[in-house]
Amino acid sequence: MTERLPADNSLPLSEPVWRRDFPLTSSGEDEVTRREFVRFLVLASSGFAVGDVGIALWSSLRRVNTGSPRPIVALDQIPVGTAYLFDYPTGSDPAILVHLPGGELRAFSQRCTHLGCVVFYEPDRGEMECPCHEGHFDATTGAVVSGPPQRPLGRIDVEVRGGTVWALGASPEAAAT
Amino acid sequence: MMSDRVPPPPPPRIPRSRRDVPAALGLFIIVLLSLQVFLLTVAVDAFHSDDPGLAWVTAGLSVLLALGSAAFYRYLR
Repeated sequence: MTERLPADNSLPLSEPVWRRDFPLTSSGEDEVTRREFVRFLVLASSGFAVGDVGIALWSSLRRVNTGSPRPIVALDQIPVGTAYLFDYPTGSDPAILVHLPGGELRAFSQRCTHLGCVVFYEPDRGEMECPCHEGHFDATTGAVVSGPPQRPLGRIDVEVRGGTVWALGASPEAAAT
Repeated sequence: MMSDRVPPPPPPRIPRSRRDVPAALGLFIIVLLSLQVFLLTVAVDAFHSDDPGLAWVTAGLSVLLALGSAAFYRYLR
């Protein structure tokens, strides 16, 4: 709420001169004390603390779905030096199976650990590359080679059973080192 | 015709010493809230990397900061 100063512009000496040019004052401007100001600080800080505790609780109580064993693809459909895209452990978890030049098989979550873009296999460099921010991961271990990601790719254990590649379970990102 | 009702007197002014926000207080707020934002990002990162230990340490520090600001409020005139 605003109110005008007296029409004769008479101001006490303690008031600044600019009040003569802008003779409006807010009746609410004198109502905020330091204590009230700090009260908002306490509320904001408490809100952050509650959020942090909630995240910690959620982090402790959630169960990470590591998936159950299931067949992915026939081995002869993945030539050496190529990759095969599939979903594991759920249909909304993109994953990538790589047939390394040495004949070994590796599977990783396709989600980049930086901001979640999908990574692709680069056979020439033997790396997994995230095209969003040029993140590079080792195709053998999933470890970060370069770029902004700080954590390795989530690893999926695979095994060949009767000519078919099976996914056995997914490991959390932090355990893939 | 003019009304001869007298307007109610304005509420007493709060002393300036209780209204001014000194620079130290402003800095305290900026530092504290910046720390809280930083701790929240660390907590989210711990959640994504499935590291509950780090998340709990972060939550503990955040609660300590909140308690500190509450104590500040308690003793501020």
